[in-house]
Amino acid sequence: MDGFGGTTLRINLSTEEIERTPTDPEFARSWMGARGFVSKILYDEVPRDADPLGVDNRFIISTGVMTGAFTPVGSKVGFGCISPATNGHADSSMGGHLGPELKYAGYDLIICEGIAAHPSYLYIDDDTVELRPAGDYWGMGSLELEERMKNDLGEDFQIATIGPSGENGIVFSCITHDFGRQAGRCGVGAVMGSKRLKAIAVRGTKSLPVHDLKSHWKLTYDIIQRTKTHPNMAPWQKYGTAFFVGWSNERGCFPTKNFQETYHKDWEKIDGERLVEDCLVSDKACFGCWMNCGKYTRARIPGKPDTYQEGPEYETIALVGGSCAFTDINHVAYANHLLDNIGMDTMSGGSTVAFAMECYQRGFITKDDLEGHELRWGNIDDFEHFVRMIAARRGIGDVFARGTKGAAEAIGQGTIKFASQAKGMEFSGYDTRWYPAQLLSYCTCDIGAHHSKSWTITTDIELGRDTIEGKAAVVIYLQHIRPLFDTWSCCRLFWGELDVTPEEHVETINYMTGWDITLDDCMQVSERVWNLNRAHFMERNGGPGRSHDGAPARHLEEPIPDGPAKGKVVGRENFEAMLDDYYANRGWDKDGNPTREILEELGIGYAADNLEKIGLLGKPIPGGIPKVRGKKLKPKAM
Amino acid sequence: MVIYLRSGGKLRERLKPDVDQYTRRVEVEGTPSLNEILADLGIPDGLVAFAFAEGTFRRLDYRPSEGEIVTLQPPVSGG
Amino acid sequence: MRIKVKKESCTGCRLCEQICTICRYDEINPRKAAIKIVPHFPQPGIFEPKLCVQCGVCAKECPVDAIHLEGEAYVIHEDECTNCGICVEACPIGVMFTHDAAPTPIKCDLCLKCTEVCNTGALIVVD
Repeated sequence: MDGFGGTTLRINLSTEEIERTPTDPEFARSWMGARGFVSKILYDEVPRDADPLGVDNRFIISTGVMTGAFTPVGSKVGFGCISPATNGHADSSMGGHLGPELKYAGYDLIICEGIAAHPSYLYIDDDTVELRPAGDYWGMGSLELEERMKNDLGEDFQIATIGPSGENGIVFSCITHDFGRQAGRCGVGAVMGSKRLKAIAVRGTKSLPVHDLKSHWKLTYDIIQRTKTHPNMAPWQKYGTAFFVGWSNERGCFPTKNFQETYHKDWEKIDGERLVEDCLVSDKACFGCWMNCGKYTRARIPGKPDTYQEGPEYETIALVGGSCAFTDINHVAYANHLLDNIGMDTMSGGSTVAFAMECYQRGFITKDDLEGHELRWGNIDDFEHFVRMIAARRGIGDVFARGTKGAAEAIGQGTIKFASQAKGMEFSGYDTRWYPAQLLSYCTCDIGAHHSKSWTITTDIELGRDTIEGKAAVVIYLQHIRPLFDTWSCCRLFWGELDVTPEEHVETINYMTGWDITLDDCMQVSERVWNLNRAHFMERNGGPGRSHDGAPARHLEEPIPDGPAKGKVVGRENFEAMLDDYYANRGWDKDGNPTREILEELGIGYAADNLEKIGLLGKPIPGGIPKVRGKKLKPKAM
Repeated sequence: MVIYLRSGGKLRERLKPDVDQYTRRVEVEGTPSLNEILADLGIPDGLVAFAFAEGTFRRLDYRPSEGEIVTLQPPVSGG
Repeated sequence: MRIKVKKESCTGCRLCEQICTICRYDEINPRKAAIKIVPHFPQPGIFEPKLCVQCGVCAKECPVDAIHLEGEAYVIHEDECTNCGICVEACPIGVMFTHDAAPTPIKCDLCLKCTEVCNTGALIVVD
């Protein structure tokens, strides 16, 4: 099948049966890849009462239509499961080289079910697929294990691993690859660990079938030449994402001390300039990417061994650096390495430690809970000790292993007010109190709070940060177009930053596959995925849908105490009004329940039947659903 | 004096390039900072993250010199 | 004319490997490329592009004289090559590659396409 590896693998880890089937062309066309594939399979296969860390959950590794292609930039692979953090659909992607390698080995999709009897790793060398014992590897850090397996198997293999955190079911565990690329979010590493799958090793040496190679490569060749001289290319190459720290701080959205504040006065000690000046080892790109935003660095802290890591990039600097109030970039980079190696998402991991630091500040946890240690803002030794307590689930570490929501529920005493999370997943690195559309984005996001599905800081600036008007529709547009890249399984950055249009991506997909599709077709796939994930979440967690879209009290009612955004807060009334607007624009009813009309229009009427059976189908909307859901931003003052 | 501002992405719509598809020629009086120049052009505060000139990061309080070419980097979501 | 490799500028993106197999075989398959990017991680954390320097040792060692100097590049003639592998063994810097699906060993013939896509200055054409 042109554009695809051609084979779907289904692996029963309990029985060690491995089944290979040709990837269904109709399925591929309807769901396109990674996020889309995952959405449909999870919906169809996982029993609604399945424990995310139990035998009935699925662990899915998926490439997409653009993975491995000569295109901007098909480096991605997606992981999917029911998330132990949110109890809903999870998809988390990473760049690097693993996805293309899988596709060159001929695989589109690997669906793992059951639980292995012993620690194992998945070994794929073209047509050879084996579950191999991983007893010797169990307990090793993610980065250490990648180095070990490269030695054991050869440099040609691409390796993805989990650390002790994933083995121990910490709900924000990640999967690591290429010494610093992560599928970080939703706890996909915990599900991989629950399957007793320690690593994946892949070598692929086959050619990717392409429908019209000449047109395909010429299009991308021209895009390469065009973007090489794009003014924004050189800054990207030199600095990556870490350079947005100063901007975020000045805009009053840089999470500081667990989102108590939004301006870090010592930001210049942890920003991108410090990172490049003090720590840079080399620039590091994902497969097929000529923009190399990855920064490989060395952290040096007196009295500690030097560490080598990719990053920290913006999100890590925000949620480890700002939110834990570090004042030395070496400490942030060291913490980045610690979390990577132990196997925790730096975003939710940083946020969870920051939340614990605030609990410590307020006396909800004490030295007695911390094995005699403290948990002071900006203290790397305290940070490291606490992270190790969580990874090993020692003492109160076991409570924080559940993430901020789970920990707040266990600790009680009103701590849930300052857990900055939605649906059980921690916010990305942007405070929302002066950015209402970003708050709406987090709270309505289908995988829990994540900027990757909708990022609206500049939208809020364009439309006015003190207003909510017109924002819901823009959020919906972004929730379709941004995750589309996760479904295509390619990087989003060339679109937003270097003027490569989504239409050009569609053109290249057509050259690859022989399809004749339009961007509108793709946007419909993305909307289909969004609605199916919504239905799935409600079928698992009950309803009404609106009850899952709540915002943390801090962001609704606690004005920002200081800095550029001093006094700002979204307010409950505004937030509820945005939700009303959002549901109306989506074709959902006022309770946030999808209607039959929208689900049928998207070709997933079966989800309407299922919602109806449990009494959660949206009531028909007088006048019908909007013809087009979501609106592209039209800046006011232009 | 004259300076040249360059950018792509959404910022280009604000910058209204007139030299080539990315570049705007701007005449300024004295030696204003980039912040002041952007304000004069009606580019809202917050839509430029930082500047880049002669291969180096510049903050927006940077004062370009005669004929200098300065790239404006729009903010993006990181990571 | 030759390709100068500046390894400290390589970011490991392997765009060069992709374009190489597209131009050489009309296929996307980095494993069949005549250039190979070898990563050295976690330490020292750099990439090493491995690419033929056109030294001609392969041509001297070829038992059937299937490798010919054409312009400034040594080129394997597929119709003459027996795929015996002696040139691969003889290459002093390990830049002649093999692939099960390739009819001959794989070596750079200086088509220069890799230098056209490289965006970091790691592969530059010099006289």
